Amino acid sequence: MAVAEDSMELEPEQNTSMKLFSQGAEARIYETSFMGRRAVVKERFSKKYRHPVLDVKLTSKRLISEARIVAKARRLGVATPALYAVDTVTASLTYEFIPGPSVKEVLLQSGPIPSSDGKIEEIAKQIGKAIAKLHDGGVVHGDLTTSNMLISPHTNQLVLIDFGLSYTSVLPEDKGVDLYVLERALISLHSANGDIMSLVISAYKQSSKLWSSTLNKLAAVRMRGRKRVMIG
Amino acid sequence: MEFKLDTHPGHTLHLFLFSDVQNSKDLLNLLQTGALQPELAFLNGSVVPDTFPLLAAAHKSLLSHSRGSLTTRTVHSELIFNYSGSKHITESLKRCGISDNTSYILVARFDASPADVAAVRALVRGNELDLSELPKRADRAVILKHYKISSVELDTSSLEDAIICRIAARDAM
Repeated sequence: MAVAEDSMELEPEQNTSMKLFSQGAEARIYETSFMGRRAVVKERFSKKYRHPVLDVKLTSKRLISEARIVAKARRLGVATPALYAVDTVTASLTYEFIPGPSVKEVLLQSGPIPSSDGKIEEIAKQIGKAIAKLHDGGVVHGDLTTSNMLISPHTNQLVLIDFGLSYTSVLPEDKGVDLYVLERALISLHSANGDIMSLVISAYKQSSKLWSSTLNKLAAVRMRGRKRVMIG
Repeated sequence: MEFKLDTHPGHTLHLFLFSDVQNSKDLLNLLQTGALQPELAFLNGSVVPDTFPLLAAAHKSLLSHSRGSLTTRTVHSELIFNYSGSKHITESLKRCGISDNTSYILVARFDASPADVAAVRALVRGNELDLSELPKRADRAVILKHYKISSVELDTSSLEDAIICRIAARDAM
């Protein structure tokens, strides 16, 4: 009887100890334990509407690209959760668990700047600095939102997560769009806190050697929106 | 010391740390002729500042073992190969394994029986140390060079996390 039940389970080793933490369009996040430490597993699932051959290719390509970029970001001195394991067979990445809160939660619970303790200003500064390090190293995050930024509880260190849409590029255009996405996110969700973006940009300017061309592009992107106009 | 590998229920990894080992040449000989009983992994202790990255390498080794996709000959040599974070087998065994004159050795054994534990202690002629000695005795300069870890990275990361990321991401590079 027990044998029959065992063989019914699809992935007996995985499903027993993992609980679903959150689900996105590309992947599910489970909470688990890795060698006694709290960890999360990000598992990409297949898209049934895609051709199976293309699906396998895209899934594994994106998995590998994410692992690479996380490793690169860390080498550039940007804090990310430590990568504990990469498994191309199950299309999953195991990361260190960072309890948060997210920058989104912090901002939503805070009043307008200037804040009394300078906490928001400090976070904005860390955001600008982290993005500058990525951009100067040729990494574009691709999904800079306040929910993809966590604050490590003990050190108050800003930790960037979700490099699933990241890619390497040295083009000011790509970096400008990266900043623009963040600007839109801040305006739509956190306008009650005041102009946080200008704090982010001034920190970015101080940290990035290539700030001038990126910020010029940002101004151009603001005029036309994220998508490039391609006529003629 | 015994570690339960929670990603592989039922499997364990035993670690033994020895200093002043006198018979590393014999150990290496046994290893290379395939006469070593039980099968073991001998690591150069000075490149292991903490057990956690080694456990991550153990996870990878057991995973490949269970899928029949080991890159090296045995699950124990796979452990050293994986721990090195390098794709070059010979180079990784040279740097993270032992040589003729290595005297500070970390011995690892998967799923050791009590007889295996006794066999390890009989086999290695040296002083057995507590694993808490690992961070103190690690050769930081060699580790930084081997894994190519810069001071910029260590601004936001611990040494163990920097190593573990290289172990995890190797196959993606």
